[in-house]
Amino acid sequence: MKRTFLYDEHLKLNAKMVDFCGWEMPIQYPDGIVAEHKAVRENCGLFDVSHMGEVFAEGEEAVFFLQHLVPQDISKLHEGHAVYCQMTDEQGGIIDDLIIYRLEEEKFLLIINAACIDNDFAWIEKNAQGYDVRVENKSEEYSMIALQGPKSSDVVEKSGIFKHMQPKFFSIIKTKIDGCDVFLSRTGYTGEDGFEILAKNEDISHLWKYLMEIGKEFSITPVGLGARDTLRLEAALLLYGQDMNKQTTPIEASLGWSVPEGKTADYNGRDVILSQLKNGVARKLVGLVMTDRAIPRHNCLIYKNGIRVGIVTSGSISPMLGVGIALGYVDTSKGLKTDDIVEIEIRGRFFKAKISRRPFVHKFYSK
Amino acid sequence: MGAPEGILCTKTHEYVYEKDGSYLVGITDYAVEQLGDIVFVELPEVGTELEKKEVFATIESVKAASEVYMPVSGKIVEINERLLNEPELINSDCYEEGWLIKVEPASLESDLEDAMEYEDYISDVEE
Repeated sequence: MKRTFLYDEHLKLNAKMVDFCGWEMPIQYPDGIVAEHKAVRENCGLFDVSHMGEVFAEGEEAVFFLQHLVPQDISKLHEGHAVYCQMTDEQGGIIDDLIIYRLEEEKFLLIINAACIDNDFAWIEKNAQGYDVRVENKSEEYSMIALQGPKSSDVVEKSGIFKHMQPKFFSIIKTKIDGCDVFLSRTGYTGEDGFEILAKNEDISHLWKYLMEIGKEFSITPVGLGARDTLRLEAALLLYGQDMNKQTTPIEASLGWSVPEGKTADYNGRDVILSQLKNGVARKLVGLVMTDRAIPRHNCLIYKNGIRVGIVTSGSISPMLGVGIALGYVDTSKGLKTDDIVEIEIRGRFFKAKISRRPFVHKFYSK
Repeated sequence: MGAPEGILCTKTHEYVYEKDGSYLVGITDYAVEQLGDIVFVELPEVGTELEKKEVFATIESVKAASEVYMPVSGKIVEINERLLNEPELINSDCYEEGWLIKVEPASLESDLEDAMEYEDYISDVEE
């Protein structure tokens, strides 16, 4: 199993380590998932996300290459800014979701999912052919820490980067933290204000210890993958491989907001995606909040009046709301809409849930 | 957290012990440690008669649901209703406040492990 450069730090903090996509990662620390979750909503938490992949794309035609790679309009992405998008195949199926950062006019950074790195990079290289662009997979050189929660900005300020110097929501700057070169971006996967800090492997454990130290007065807490999952679910952020995959398109995954209709450049799967935007889709991702006392889980079936209408892709308890919440796909032909009641089959019994607006917990981004 | 005197355990980490004339059934602190934060408990109806090794409850942590098996055959005479609103009692005190059910055992079979045998079993599992 692979280990991140923060492995020893996790052991020192008595983390419970598990196998996550071939990486030995902390699922939780002794405080437990609920406490870690609340720490991020109320103060701030530190996550090791070094397993994620970093791909750089640089060259005169980097923009044209990326325009072809994703449905998002990268021509409109300004230097120092970032955008959430998906890589799609010719059928519009999602190969991975990612954030693209425009570091310089002709230099981009793509942050991709850990489980997808090899597959993604093969796809990226294939698609880069014919463009004047150099693509490099630097996942083995870089590590990443996420600092998330309402006090994150205070912690970064404490490191010497004043608030007015900090990157704004979905922006990135190149800076130094305690002498280490970092990319500091205002992004994350929790629905809270926060940062992601990308640094070279050799600097990451120093940065981790430094942030844990200066973060003490802001009650900083190390947070494992368990709370990362409940935080992203409350924020209704999709998980690749679970809430979307190659068999789902961005439109089906209710990610249409990241597919600008006016984009003129061609991209993989454009015909399918535009047709779905125009004609609709047979199934669509929705949010579900349990009105009965039960916790929906991955693969639970969804029914309406005894007829099967869908399936849960992610489900858990919401630590903030104290009720079961889920993301799932429902047939659009059934005319289900927000606030409609459906039934979810959990261990052979049926429990009521309401189709709900997303996110389940209000997002508190600092824009 | 110390296990109560006279406790008997299963290899699936349930316990049963006698207290003030009733037999309390729950899950061991080892099981609690493995599960993490317990957020939801589903308990059977009072009066149900179940065989040893039958599922009588479901305990959910944040991550997953786990079934709990009868350590002995018998009739359920009481359930710990406090757990429906305070499932975290299992985390804080699995042997006293966090018991799941009280049973009237058909028999206390001898293949259950006493505290020491159970400890040995856990350390074998751990290795």
